[in-house]
Amino acid sequence: MALTLKELRIFKGSALLLSLDVTVEKGEILTVMGPSGSGKSTLLQAIAGHLDTPFSFSGSILIDGTNLASKPPHRRGVGVMFQDALLFEHMTVEQNIMFAIPSAKYQTKSRKRDAVAKLLHAVELEGMQHRVVTTLSGGQQSRISLLRTLAAEPQAVLLDEPFSKLDTALRQQIREWTFTQLRERNIPALLVTHDNADAVSAGGQTIELSSC
Amino acid sequence: MSNFNSQSKPQSKPQSKNRNRSFGQGHFNRITVWAKWLLLCLLIIPVVAGVVGVFLPAMGYFPAIGAEQFDFRVFAALFDVAGIHRMMWLSLFTGVVATVIAALFAFVLLSVFYRSQMLSRLQIVLSPFLVLPHAGAAIALVFLLSPSGFFARLFTFDSSAIASTNEGVFLFDSYGISIILALVLKEIPFILLMAISVMSQPLIQEKINGYFKAGTALGYSPIAIFFKLVLPVVFPQIRLPLLAVLVFAVSNVEIPLILGPNDPSTLAVAILHWFNHIDLSMRLQASSAAVVQVGIAVFAVIVMLAVEKGIIFYGKKWLQRGKRHAATDKAISATAYLLLVAYVVLVVSAVYTLVAFSFAKQWTFPNIIPADVTMLHWNTVFDAVLTPLSNTVLLGVSVSFSALVLVLLTLESEPLNAAKTRASLLLPTALFLPLLVPGVAFLYGLVWFQQLILKDAVWFHVYVAHMVYVIPYVYLSLAVAYRKFDNRYVMVALSLGKSPMEVFFFVKLPLLIGPILVAFALGLAISFSQYLPTLLTTGGAISTVTTEAVALAAGSSARLSAAYVVIQAVMPLCGFGLAWWLSNILFKPSTNTRSTNKSNTGKSVRSV
Repeated sequence: MALTLKELRIFKGSALLLSLDVTVEKGEILTVMGPSGSGKSTLLQAIAGHLDTPFSFSGSILIDGTNLASKPPHRRGVGVMFQDALLFEHMTVEQNIMFAIPSAKYQTKSRKRDAVAKLLHAVELEGMQHRVVTTLSGGQQSRISLLRTLAAEPQAVLLDEPFSKLDTALRQQIREWTFTQLRERNIPALLVTHDNADAVSAGGQTIELSSC
Repeated sequence: MSNFNSQSKPQSKPQSKNRNRSFGQGHFNRITVWAKWLLLCLLIIPVVAGVVGVFLPAMGYFPAIGAEQFDFRVFAALFDVAGIHRMMWLSLFTGVVATVIAALFAFVLLSVFYRSQMLSRLQIVLSPFLVLPHAGAAIALVFLLSPSGFFARLFTFDSSAIASTNEGVFLFDSYGISIILALVLKEIPFILLMAISVMSQPLIQEKINGYFKAGTALGYSPIAIFFKLVLPVVFPQIRLPLLAVLVFAVSNVEIPLILGPNDPSTLAVAILHWFNHIDLSMRLQASSAAVVQVGIAVFAVIVMLAVEKGIIFYGKKWLQRGKRHAATDKAISATAYLLLVAYVVLVVSAVYTLVAFSFAKQWTFPNIIPADVTMLHWNTVFDAVLTPLSNTVLLGVSVSFSALVLVLLTLESEPLNAAKTRASLLLPTALFLPLLVPGVAFLYGLVWFQQLILKDAVWFHVYVAHMVYVIPYVYLSLAVAYRKFDNRYVMVALSLGKSPMEVFFFVKLPLLIGPILVAFALGLAISFSQYLPTLLTTGGAISTVTTEAVALAAGSSARLSAAYVVIQAVMPLCGFGLAWWLSNILFKPSTNTRSTNKSNTGKSVRSV
């Protein structure tokens, strides 16, 4: 698994917003930095398949050589994480994660349930299966959100300033933990951030976008 | 990197599944687009057919009585009818004055309460008037204002006095003051809630907050900020609903029918009588009058737009003067509080009078409390109301539910990132079409067509007529929630590999369940309140609570009439209550846990 952006150009109307040509190897975390308005989030939307009307792109987005452009968002295998955990409030912790697990992966519901328990155990959130998500702390929500993203077995993960709403102490902890999980699973990731410390911790290539 | 291509195993599996998903997605997408076109057809075809069906007889074409020549004699005859000019004037005058006053009062209330906690309490006080059908509100006013009504009782201190035999100062007055009063009371809550829903849209809310800070920093008072900075932002967004209110006000039937003068009545009421006249040739006169009614509505809209232009012209000069604390601030807030008190008094005394009347055994004039109570009237009502009530509920539930489904799919068919399609450009106009064409004009034409096509499908006809009125409200109410919905939830769910249909059913519907149920309850309330569409399309064959209430208002039994208004008021409240209750229990994770989970640690954790 590697994510390649090949001669990717994003336009706003007919004006060029940004152009990129980069490959994110498996387990690598590419950091994209730049002032607001430079098109960081737009880049993520292009990859995930959510590009809004005034924007368009040329070039290709490849995962292991397969072009994503013709695929609808839900078949791209690209996980997205935002500043907010965005856990589904009408589901428990367990249901949130089970919602993400590919339906064919486990034969029975109890196996699926065991898998969730194992995932939670690995991140020291054991026994939280039936908690109402709104009762969780910010750090817990962030961790569940990542677990949910990983449970869908994405080919690549996009992180849109995912740590910016956490306070400093928590931020560092969640960041380290997130990056470790991604590296362990060999998933290429693209991180958009304002924070230099994020880039340092990510340890991969860093791309600075200038505002147009 | 291409080395890893050899690991094709994880790739091939999702692809075979993808083909299924692609079918599912296309399917769902196609359904939403069909739903959108069906919704557009339901809004446009009945109105256009109805207008055509009224224009033809107005031009002298009415084969049923052998009139097949197009000419203008029908109009000439119409303008010879005694009092026709007075009817037209009365319609225009009551409608325009009521709308202007209602808008003014709504803005006054908003300007005083828009930044305070009172706003939600205000909504609570006003909502009974919002959900009470126009007919019910008019009947309630009769109970309060008639010579032997509650207010007369309150202010008569001589216990031997008898109710004056004249019609009272307000009721049935030839100037239409009572009509204006009823319309104003009914329309203030509507305009207010439209404005509040506009102001609570995220983008506009942000802008208003910014303007408020900037205005305060410049030394403007909150009320001045509302009129000088906020209203110019909000008004263009509520112009269409306001015009819909205006068109309703100049052309509605039930309020002038119950409260208005008879010699002559408003044009809309006259049209109703002429259309229902035994002599079929009166249909020609009624049709031409209906065309004139459309003309009056158009004229009223032009007047309103001219008033708006004038206010904008002078408003700009007024803004440039830069007066900080408008001297009128105190007067405005006094007016607002007075209005609020008036509403509370009206609501409380209306509820008391209606309930008391429906239980009263004997209630002689100046007494404020009935002498004795009895269940007699309610027993009579329970026997009589069963059929109309079940008709009302059956119609309301089927209309509101199908409107809700169509509206949800239509909203779902508008992807945020797609260019505007033809259908989505047509939609805003189509939504307001039934509200901007007077019902009394197009409903008769519609009935004419319906009798040509499917003469006996009464339920179908009344269903279509209700849909025309229910869809716009359900759509407008849900569109607000859709705009506020955080679309990142959808992006996350899609990125987890769920198809658009799965995202719709498992993420969007549960997260929006509150607004969806409220929209359903609103649809019910709108359907419950329909008088003219029900009466005309069924020819009286299907009675509802509202048609019965209006029929009884003209009859002799005040007690039964009171009981019907109570039912009219309670039904929509039940709908909203049910919506509130269901939205609290549906899709709540704590109630979703299955019994098999009990062995898990979850339960103990949750109780901590």
